Amino acid sequence: MSGTEASAAQGGGGNNASEFVRKLFRMLEDPSHQDVARWGKDGDSFVVVEGEKFTRSILPKHFKHSNMSSFIRQLNKYDFHKVKPSGDGDSTSPNGNVLEFKHPYFRVDSKDDLDNIRRKAPATRKPQVPEDFTTSQHVSVISEQLTATQQQVQQLQELFADVSQTNRLLVNEVLTLQKMLNAQKQAQHEMLNYLSPYNHSRNSGMMGHSMNSNGGMSTADGDEAVPELRRARELLSSVAPDTVADRELERLHDIYESPADSATMVTPVSMPMMHDPMNDISRYPVYPVGQTVGIDPFHSDHINKIPYAMPNEGSSGSLDHHQQQQHTTQPGASNQMTSTSGHAESMDKPASLWGAKKPVVFLVEDDGTCAKIGIKFLKSMGCDVEHAINGVEAFNRINAVGRDHFDLIFMDIIMPRLDGVSATMYIRQHCPTTPIIAMTSNIRPDEVNGYFEHGMNGVLAKPFTKEGMLKSVKTNLQHLLKNPPNQSDNGHGSGFLMNVPYLSTTGNPIKFESPTPPTGAGGSNWTSGHISQNGVDQGFGLMDGSSQYNMAQSRGGYSTMDASSGRLSDHDSPPEKRQRLNNSQRNYA
Amino acid sequence: MTLPDDKELESILGDGVDLNTFKQILEMDEPGDNEFSTSIVFGFFEQAEETFESMNTALNEKDLDKLSELGHFLKGSSATLGLIKVRDGCEKIQRYGKQENLDGSPEPDTNVCLERVKEALTAVKSDYEEVEVGLKKFYDKDDEEEEGA
Repeated sequence: MSGTEASAAQGGGGNNASEFVRKLFRMLEDPSHQDVARWGKDGDSFVVVEGEKFTRSILPKHFKHSNMSSFIRQLNKYDFHKVKPSGDGDSTSPNGNVLEFKHPYFRVDSKDDLDNIRRKAPATRKPQVPEDFTTSQHVSVISEQLTATQQQVQQLQELFADVSQTNRLLVNEVLTLQKMLNAQKQAQHEMLNYLSPYNHSRNSGMMGHSMNSNGGMSTADGDEAVPELRRARELLSSVAPDTVADRELERLHDIYESPADSATMVTPVSMPMMHDPMNDISRYPVYPVGQTVGIDPFHSDHINKIPYAMPNEGSSGSLDHHQQQQHTTQPGASNQMTSTSGHAESMDKPASLWGAKKPVVFLVEDDGTCAKIGIKFLKSMGCDVEHAINGVEAFNRINAVGRDHFDLIFMDIIMPRLDGVSATMYIRQHCPTTPIIAMTSNIRPDEVNGYFEHGMNGVLAKPFTKEGMLKSVKTNLQHLLKNPPNQSDNGHGSGFLMNVPYLSTTGNPIKFESPTPPTGAGGSNWTSGHISQNGVDQGFGLMDGSSQYNMAQSRGGYSTMDASSGRLSDHDSPPEKRQRLNNSQRNYA
Repeated sequence: MTLPDDKELESILGDGVDLNTFKQILEMDEPGDNEFSTSIVFGFFEQAEETFESMNTALNEKDLDKLSELGHFLKGSSATLGLIKVRDGCEKIQRYGKQENLDGSPEPDTNVCLERVKEALTAVKSDYEEVEVGLKKFYDKDDEEEEGA
């Protein structure tokens, strides 16, 4: 019905008028049956002259039915009223069944008024009563649901209040911590600055004595005079604040706090305490972080390419040597291991490694295989070993035996019940100085930084080797060694260089002074070229996350000295930083 | 005992074992027997088989976290023994368990991850069986030599 009628309705003007009324109007306009139904003579009513014919022919044509009473009912609904036929001379109709209907707005000359003809509001229905039961049931169900929903909303509101309260506390806490952290960073830098000249003079003095057999190397080393200090700085600077997150924090803080409060609270975040001009534009709290020019040695791309090689791999001479030694019944397996890398003097017998007191080492490791091997390695080095299989056990044991019982702790990171980092945090509460070495395959820079930040002193990369473990042990237990490394390893290039960094940290309790893997500038020596080269020659560097950097670096300086030292100082560290770090380095550049 | 030379060792153990790492374990043995390394290696066999069992269970339960954990666990001990193929397979399981692709990029589709873990587990089992055969052959051979001597 839509197409024609819609257009007809528009043509007729009465757009909003009801369908029925418009049909009615159109019907009356149709000239073909004026004899059956037509406008009344005043144009304010309409007349059905011949009811029967109307029912038969006109109703089906216009209303699709042929039911007069239905038609009349419709008229009633639209408030048409039957009127007494006006005597207009048509009373010739013999049957007298002329019907005339009228509506105040239904006029021949006023189509627009059709809009005003509305269906009467339907009369309220009588038969409501039988439905009452189900309806009331529905109502009660709905009202129950409503109550439940209201309760839920209320609970959610309470929860929300709780959460936002907690969140507010946390935001404040984080900001306070940031403030503290910045202050500590500042303090650490002050210490570094204080230590720089001291260590430098000490280191270079030592270089002068021991390295004159290899002039080139001392140049390279001079360039890296104080690797600990530089790495400590890099470590500090690598922890750059996430400015986006900070801004978000500030925003949150602004929301939570009155403006006056937030101004004082946010200041430490937004205004770093350093006077470095770089900091005025970029909001780094301590040092601007240099671009990552170098290759990150801990990036998985590289990690996967570094063979988990043993020290004797790649040097055929040492393999022969190694084979020969197998035939002897010499018990010192360590001798075989170490001799291949060229520093056997202090290692002839395990017992000879230590002075009056044998070190007690605590191995915390959940994996039985690793633990067995680790214990065996440590015992072969002449250490007494205790073993715990998770952080809880370790913590309990340390509490039971007292803080001075263990000289060194090797701590797995991923363990059931209590992980290594958490265990370290607990242990540090009672036992602040015992060196704790993270023993893990998770050695991404951020992870390693995390270990140091939580009080660990070094990293032994898994899978560890005896070599790597020995270095960790020697590094951290120098005070127990019978022969301090600076005397025992003279003249052995790589062995000596390995130990150089540790000499300068002897007895230094500042934890970030401990050897750490590099980020940023320091990592640059790990170019892929060096990896392939050193990865074979010096593959065990990887075994000790704490020292591999030194190894690679030393080795890099050794093999491609000019290139690497030049690059290091010219490109790899931001100029300000280098300058600050150690002015004397420039002399070598 | 005497250690066979590298070529012989490699021919026995196959390329799934990093000789230098493994020899380091052998070097921990007292001269004359290989009790220590035997206990380590056979301890590892037990551990590996238990772990594979747990991995199957975790696969059925679609427990990616557990799979990652198990992958990490076995990765550590296999790497310590120099079983490099097993180690690499475990690494894959650990990664996909963490819903990461091998390059570290996130893989949000858990079904893809489970499928990949399944593939990796099948592969790592066969790599494991290979080194198991090799290692058992190695220790059998040693026993024979000792009996002969």
